[in-house]
Amino acid sequence: MTAAPEWTTIGVSVRGSAHERLGLPCQDAWAVRRRPDGGLVVAVADGAGSAAHAEMGAALASAVAADYLTGLERPANDEECCAALSAALTRSLAAVTAKAAELQTEVRELACTLVVVLAEPGRVAAAQIGDGAAVVGERDGSVRTLTIPQTGEYLNATTFLISPDAISAAQVRVESGAFPHLAVLTDGIEMLALAMPSGEAYGPFFAPLFAFANTDTDPDEARAQLESLLRSPRVQARTDDDLTLVLAVRKR
Amino acid sequence: MSEVATLEQVEFAENPEPRCPCVLLLDTSGSMQGAAIDALNAGLRTFAEHVSRDTLAARRVEVAVVTFNTEVTVEQDFVTADSFNPPTLTASGMTHMGSAINKALDLVRDRKKQYKDNGVAYYRPWIFMITDGEPQGELESVVSAAAARLRDDESNKRVAFFAVGVEGANIARLADIVVRTPVKLIGLNFAEMFVWLSASMQQVSQSNPDDQVALPPAGWSAV
Repeated sequence: MTAAPEWTTIGVSVRGSAHERLGLPCQDAWAVRRRPDGGLVVAVADGAGSAAHAEMGAALASAVAADYLTGLERPANDEECCAALSAALTRSLAAVTAKAAELQTEVRELACTLVVVLAEPGRVAAAQIGDGAAVVGERDGSVRTLTIPQTGEYLNATTFLISPDAISAAQVRVESGAFPHLAVLTDGIEMLALAMPSGEAYGPFFAPLFAFANTDTDPDEARAQLESLLRSPRVQARTDDDLTLVLAVRKR
Repeated sequence: MSEVATLEQVEFAENPEPRCPCVLLLDTSGSMQGAAIDALNAGLRTFAEHVSRDTLAARRVEVAVVTFNTEVTVEQDFVTADSFNPPTLTASGMTHMGSAINKALDLVRDRKKQYKDNGVAYYRPWIFMITDGEPQGELESVVSAAAARLRDDESNKRVAFFAVGVEGANIARLADIVVRTPVKLIGLNFAEMFVWLSASMQQVSQSNPDDQVALPPAGWSAV
């Protein structure tokens, strides 16, 4: 047996300029957990702009899904993996529904998208409701999307965790492989990171990010640098939405 | 690898800017002569100024202007807000509202097809009709067919159609034609209304769980 591979992760959420203008908080949230068996869990959620408690819904949904997948026994096969992801989405929905009842508000006021990724040695699995994306990469720099933005005809009309049949309609993908590079993002950065409308991962966007995450930069410094990229004028000129990017690399 | 990995090397995908189409469907019939048309023209300039102040909205919002009296005229085909020069409108003639609604729905349908053909992502189109009256000088069958088409387009979420009645407009009649409750402009407060519209177009990219658009705030309108 080799030692469990070591994951390095960098995650940042940045409030969008439109949210600043409207006095809205950052409604994106992310959660990263390390599993005892060397696996990694990433969950990212984007609260709906028009929902009153969107940031709470996003924070709760991502944390609950991540906690559930962290405490779970290692799935034995692909089917168990898919079932675990679906169960994580169901737990998140239940938590959000309970929170809405506690706040005496409609569950739609906690509407959010949700992307969950479970990376095990030899396998990676992702489930997604709504927009955003999960991307995997190889050491040679090649990247591809595991799950892609789920939107209807209109860019701002997506599916939310609280939408009818959202969990049964979620994208679920399982792939075998080592996948040393992993990224999860919200829709704010979609147009920069993916070739639309196909949703293919854009290599020149991700390759430098993964190379950066592979360097031995101090974690706080790395997060500050990623945040300053997301706040830079060249990014801000192209999007006014909240931005979330979580990078994970398995060190050689 | 010996090279130093820096985030300056990150390059961005070149996707076409998403578009948000907005048709201004404006009544220029004879009864709009005088203060009303002057205020409408000033309001249009306010809209152009406000929507182009926001750099992203200026590139994303596409404005078309259709006027209607005895004729239905496309005064301005779709153009991004940063290159929108508001026309100066004059008022005369009857009120061919049914044909005008049809024309606006045609414009929106054709524009969406162009977006799709070119891989451009887009938001749900808005049509914003401003009128001081009810259909006039037009066959009733034209008006009822336009109203039926509008109902179908609204229920299939092809468009969001808002009607604003200027002082003296027959709001009850308007409510028979459009799906969403028409709002009544207080006085000739076009400038305030267009400021609201501009702000709404800037916010349209906010994702929305149930497709509701908030009614305009008190100040320029009464429901």
